Amino acid sequence: MAANTVGSTAPRKPVLSVSARKIKDNAADWHNLILKWETLNDTGFATANSIANLKIRLCSEDETELQGSSPASGEGADKALPEYSKELETLCEELQTTFDALAKIQMKMEKLSSTTKGVCELENYHYADGRHRPPLFHTWPTTHFYEVSRKLSDMYRKELLLKRTVTEELAHATDHDLALSYLSMWLHQPYVETDSKLLLESMLLETGHRAL
Amino acid sequence: MTQDQPLLAVQEALRKCFPVVEEQQGLWQSSLRDCQPLLASLSNLAEQLQAAQNLRFEDVPPLRAFPDLKERLRRKQLAAGDTVLDKLGERLAALLKVRDTVSRHVEQVLEIYGQHAGSIGVGAVLQASAASPSVADMLEWLQDVERHYRDSYLKRKYLLSSIQWGDLANIQALPKAWDQISEDEHQSLVQDTLLNVSFFLEE
Repeated sequence: MAANTVGSTAPRKPVLSVSARKIKDNAADWHNLILKWETLNDTGFATANSIANLKIRLCSEDETELQGSSPASGEGADKALPEYSKELETLCEELQTTFDALAKIQMKMEKLSSTTKGVCELENYHYADGRHRPPLFHTWPTTHFYEVSRKLSDMYRKELLLKRTVTEELAHATDHDLALSYLSMWLHQPYVETDSKLLLESMLLETGHRAL
Repeated sequence: MTQDQPLLAVQEALRKCFPVVEEQQGLWQSSLRDCQPLLASLSNLAEQLQAAQNLRFEDVPPLRAFPDLKERLRRKQLAAGDTVLDKLGERLAALLKVRDTVSRHVEQVLEIYGQHAGSIGVGAVLQASAASPSVADMLEWLQDVERHYRDSYLKRKYLLSSIQWGDLANIQALPKAWDQISEDEHQSLVQDTLLNVSFFLEE
């Protein structure tokens, strides 16, 4: 609706260059958001790693506690355990904070996709008469920007879901293989496909952020 | 004077060769050092692959929402492994280059010696002084150094070519196997040799 009002009043050419501006800014935003995501992913991995290590230490101490039969060692463990749990709690909060920041980024990614969709709709309105649509930049039809945005958003949305699971479950994992697999999932981001880099770079190239 | 000329030519060749060895030894050592963290991350990846392989994803309730996760994770882990393998390949190529450079220079010295061997008396070849080892000793040391690089390179290449993602235990043991090669070698051979010729080089 809003797009229609803008489209009907504004002259044709400026509207198109505004669209190009918007798409170009979006491409730069994609670049920056993905960079931020990667930094947060590293931070989160360091925290997750500490959580896993602490869990291993806690588990081995539980075992020594079970093995030691003297009341003195039992007392020592009683004292030590709450302290460790406090450490674990702090780390879990840290990971949660990182996750929240990732979630914020992912929301911004969704927003980028929807503004790109808006630009496409605006263009559809303008060229409803079936005239030839010149590309905004070099070769990409405008819908292609939306397709790329959508693909990237989908990857990061799924990845965020997985990260939420890891954030919630890691500290409860008692099995070594499971804990290590959670860590590996966080690190390798299985839902961010390897071609995401190519998608981003080609978008930067098309919009002129990268030199040909 | 002219009688000494052939001997001087060989000594001259030796004086040019040892500094090359010294320089190449530096490159060799730094390439070896670069390999250690790479092997450690390969070993680490193998552990991650093994853990995911042991795990029955479908038995973990929180993971049931991700039916394709196991396969996706494996693909990403293997891709990360290939990146590390590529880097290791580059380091191995650097080691090969050291081996070839040293071989080429040692060969040149031996060639020059071969040209003059007839005109240098056995006595002169064997004669050592307080400052300078005999030409015969130095030629032998160069051959030892060359053989050392050749053997070491082959062992390392063989070890790296044994890497297969189907054999994760082998990959996990790589860092140890790599260090074992170094331990089995005469570690200070090159350094000792360079030390032995230090006065000769200053002459």
